[in-house]
Amino acid sequence: MSLVVSSIYISILAMGVIFVVLGTLIALIKVLDRCFPYQAPPPAPVSARPAAGAADEEAEHLAVIHAVLSRHLEKDPSQIHLTRVSSP
Amino acid sequence: MEFSLQDSLQKILGSTGFVALNWGDGVMILVALTLLYLAIWKKFEPLLLLPIGFGCLLANLPNSMMMSTDEGGLFNIFYFGIKHEILPPLIFLGVGALTDFGPLLANPITLLLGAAAQIGIYTTLIGAVYLGFDLKEAGAIGIIGGADGPTSIFLASKLAPHLLGPIAVAAYSYMSLVPLIQPPLMRWLTTSEERKIRMEQLKPISQTVKILFPVIATILCVLLLPGVAPLLGMLMLGNLFRESGVTGRLHETSETHLINIVTILLALAVGSSMTAESFLTVQTIKIIVLGLLAFGMATAGGLIFGKILCKLSGGKINPLIGSAGVSAVPMAARVSQKVGSEEDPGNFLLMHAMGPNVAGVIGSAVAAGVFLSLFGDLGMDGHAAVEQVPAALASIIKP
Repeated sequence: MSLVVSSIYISILAMGVIFVVLGTLIALIKVLDRCFPYQAPPPAPVSARPAAGAADEEAEHLAVIHAVLSRHLEKDPSQIHLTRVSSP
Repeated sequence: MEFSLQDSLQKILGSTGFVALNWGDGVMILVALTLLYLAIWKKFEPLLLLPIGFGCLLANLPNSMMMSTDEGGLFNIFYFGIKHEILPPLIFLGVGALTDFGPLLANPITLLLGAAAQIGIYTTLIGAVYLGFDLKEAGAIGIIGGADGPTSIFLASKLAPHLLGPIAVAAYSYMSLVPLIQPPLMRWLTTSEERKIRMEQLKPISQTVKILFPVIATILCVLLLPGVAPLLGMLMLGNLFRESGVTGRLHETSETHLINIVTILLALAVGSSMTAESFLTVQTIKIIVLGLLAFGMATAGGLIFGKILCKLSGGKINPLIGSAGVSAVPMAARVSQKVGSEEDPGNFLLMHAMGPNVAGVIGSAVAAGVFLSLFGDLGMDGHAAVEQVPAALASIIKP
């Protein structure tokens, strides 16, 4: 059998193996995702103090940004530390 | 001992590299300088081409003892890390630590795009055999189509160590040219409407899935293809460092200092293997041409499968993300984003393209594992494997 024909057979076989292996990984991911679905982290505690003055307004902004960031990054709110909000 | 000024001068002059310099060394020094130029001034994969170029320069300065084959020389010791499959898997450890598998886990069907893009490897295999390479050499050349430098080096060192230099240079050169090679093919193989498709936002994935995936995927893949263990195992370990949340220091080391140190050693060792005897051959020219074919076919394979998935999903998948299946993380994903945003500036494909991009890394490692199973030390010898392939296929087709 010529080497070129052999290489064609090998290519077909190898592509088949790759699709089988990666197809198995797809099935694995689907099973894992079904067994352990994503649960949104609890919302960050936001203080309900009334805004009075610039300092309180900044604190309120910080709390909102903090809550949105922790939700977007899927991290526990305690892992994110915001200190200041700057206006452009 | 009698001192003679003339003899001493002759000895000193005779020991200089100028006396031993031949035309082959001269050409290789020019090749090394070209690589340095491309790395520094053209910014082509500078982290790799610069040390490869300098390693090549040192190896080709006569009497320097810096060739990978110079027993006891510095680069001979670095080369040990390639020969004994230490350095490429360590690079994969760093890649795993750097890579977020989230987009892949959120849209697992993109794994198929990573699989389809491996067609570049096998069309190149056929082309290489047609051009006169044997099956082992053709496999090592074909893996350039995986667009994964460490995998190319890993496989070349196992199947065709004499071709390591040209294969590594072709792989990294074409990887750096991904932003030039891919866009024309992407525009040619997709319609304007397809390029404008906006994909739905990726769903979030639980941390438990992110932790379990690398562990279970390693068990499954290594049981299926034991040859893939060094590469895939290290990739998954690096990702586990990242996702487990309990190995912060190991994660940080893997994705920064370790991968940087190993890159220096790997690139210098590859450069030191680029000597006139191994590089200035007709085979090198063939490998450079085949490398381009490999990249083109891999891109086309991913795009065509992307179009198929687009049809099957009712137009929910943008085929442009298929080209990211060629690995080359994250450059290929960036190219998908760039070409998509040219058509629709508000279209953000980057995270969607990271799925097939990561799948490409896994796919090329699996492709290397298939080659090792067929031609490596783990399985039967290459000729025996080839003889059995048609029979196996025939039994599948006609049970």
